Amino acid sequence: MDPAGPPLSSEVVDPHEPAHLDLIPFGIIEPMISSVVAANIQAVVGLFVRTHPPSELPADAFITMRNQYDAAKIIHTIGQADGGAPFKLGLIAHDLCIPILTYVYGESQMGGSAAVISTARLFDTRQEIFYQRIAKVAVHETGHLVGLAHCRQIDCLMRFSRDIEQLDRLPLLFCSVCEYEIARQIKRFINMGTAGK
Amino acid sequence: MAQAMQVLVVDDEETICLSLAAWLFKAGYRVETAGSGQEALTQLKQRLFDIYLLDIKMPSMDGLELLAEIKALQPDAAAIMITAHGSIQTAVASMKKGAVDYLCKPFDPDELSLVMERVAATKALKDENEVLRMQLMEQQAAFLEGIVAQSAAMHAVLADIEEMAPSNAAVLITGETGVGKDLVARMIHLRSRQAQGPFIAVNCGAQTESLLESELFGHERGAFTGAVKARRGLLEMADGGTLFLDEIGEITQKMQVALLRVLEDKHFQRLGGGHPIDTQFRLICATHRDLLQLRREELFREDFFYRINVFSIHVPPLRQRREDIPVLADFFLQKYNQETGKRIEGFTQNAMAALCAYPWPGNARELRNVVERVVVLTRGRMIGAAEIAFLEKSADACDSDGLTLKALEQRHINSVLAACEGNITHAAKRLGIDRVTLSRKLKRYQASLAASGEIK
Ligand SMILES: Nc1ncnc2c1ncn2[C@@H]1O[C@H](COP(=O)(O)OP(=O)(O)O)[C@@H](O)[C@H]1O
Ligand SMILES: [Zn+2]
Ligand SMILES: [Zn+2]
Repeated sequence: MDPAGPPLSSEVVDPHEPAHLDLIPFGIIEPMISSVVAANIQAVVGLFVRTHPPSELPADAFITMRNQYDAAKIIHTIGQADGGAPFKLGLIAHDLCIPILTYVYGESQMGGSAAVISTARLFDTRQEIFYQRIAKVAVHETGHLVGLAHCRQIDCLMRFSRDIEQLDRLPLLFCSVCEYEIARQIKRFINMGTAGK
Repeated sequence: MAQAMQVLVVDDEETICLSLAAWLFKAGYRVETAGSGQEALTQLKQRLFDIYLLDIKMPSMDGLELLAEIKALQPDAAAIMITAHGSIQTAVASMKKGAVDYLCKPFDPDELSLVMERVAATKALKDENEVLRMQLMEQQAAFLEGIVAQSAAMHAVLADIEEMAPSNAAVLITGETGVGKDLVARMIHLRSRQAQGPFIAVNCGAQTESLLESELFGHERGAFTGAVKARRGLLEMADGGTLFLDEIGEITQKMQVALLRVLEDKHFQRLGGGHPIDTQFRLICATHRDLLQLRREELFREDFFYRINVFSIHVPPLRQRREDIPVLADFFLQKYNQETGKRIEGFTQNAMAALCAYPWPGNARELRNVVERVVVLTRGRMIGAAEIAFLEKSADACDSDGLTLKALEQRHINSVLAACEGNITHAAKRLGIDRVTLSRKLKRYQASLAASGEIK
């Protein structure tokens, strides 16, 4: 124990594991959804995910007039929080927007440290479709975090989806170019992490 | 998209700028932001962008004003206007002013993505077309303005053109009247980096000093009697292109000084004052005179001479490159066949021999005029020696006694000119007429001489 170290939240699960990404549910989120997100990021991107217990809804990010949460503000807040994993992904059931867009499925700092996704517009009565959409958006935003821009390949998860049908048509996979780029970025990132210790 | 499109977002709200920039960046665009119209224009001084996203409502300079400024600077700029709900009318107005589309704040992500992709695709297509158009223009120009060259001397001239054209330095073209100096100047322009810009040709020998001065510099309203309207000068119009000063040996010292100043300052004032006007052009001068000789006689300023003579091209007279005569004759024959709809096949051997033997004092221009005349007169499929017999006849006609008054005048002018070594100003003085009158007489004389093939 390092008494001068960063005050890791007492809520952090299993603080001894060296996680790459902290998954932070806001408000009420089905535990199953968190598990789906964590599992897919781990499997598709290759980052080790640590799931936090639910945080309170970020009241300061709520825009009453639009009845939406400001994704940019949430990202800013969780990105600034001390300690934890180098990447942080927020998960919220309410609708998200950014000042210039009417809504977003998710938002992230490209090549940065924080992202957030919403399940609000992804719902489907068929549960497996609902979960798949959430996994796709989560992995897509994680791709941005790692430094990837949108991809023009039709069968790549980094393609921008204009609507839910387009999202449904995307596979839960990257094209070979994006996959290579992700592998390269993550390798660099992990090397940096170990070199820093 | 081979290269990422460059986008400039202009909005006074920082959060809008930033979130839009972040979104576009993820979409693969290269993005810069500006918080005001002024800031945007400052950035535009450094570089241009492919696509502009402009907020319509901004303090001080609004989006429409900025759009106008951008369009003035970059007529093919693709601008998308950003508007708040409820001010769609302004957005529609902006489309009339050249915006390609508009988006209402806040945007639907799918709409933003659609508009951006559509604009980027159009822009890419336009750029591609532009490249194609330029290639086509070059081919056409080479075809239309082609310089016929068979002799080693003309091939050397062509090589010089290729070498000098891409530079921005001034070129002096020397050679007798009618050798093709004008053609060489146009060719240099077409091969230069300012080929898309204007080619402004001015004959300095054909007008008085004051007329030439107001042609070149333009004038403000009321600069002199008769200047009822302000007028742009040719120096302004040549901006971004080439200024071709033909017969530069004829300009006065005062004009030399005035032009030298423009070349050095890259700006000038219209006659009658006003603010300085920036202009950047490539200068090409031509003369049939020996400028070095004029310089020795102190009729031509040394500093001006060096300014205009960074590169020089000499086009030799046709009689010194006789190999060019047959190809030029054929070239002109095709040209006039086309113009008159005739199908004359060529020159007989005898006719061609006669053309080759003739001294061509009026050079290619005289040859052109002769061929034009012959094409009109010829009935058969070939041009025979008989059809061009007038060349020889006219060559000795001048020695006969029955001289007309006009012919006598021409003879006298010629001998005085020869005594003055071709200096029009001096010869005019000696003849007791002014320079313009003499120039006009010479021009008319040359024209009739070239048209009829007469010499002496
Ligand atoms: N090498 C050439 N090939 C084709 N046309 C020529 C050539 N030289 C001269 N000409 C033609 O002869 C005419 C006179 O040429 P121009 O350039 O006006 O001569 P300059 O400017 O030297 O008086 C023009 O019609 C020009 O097109
Ligand atoms: Zn994305
Ligand atoms: Zn891809």
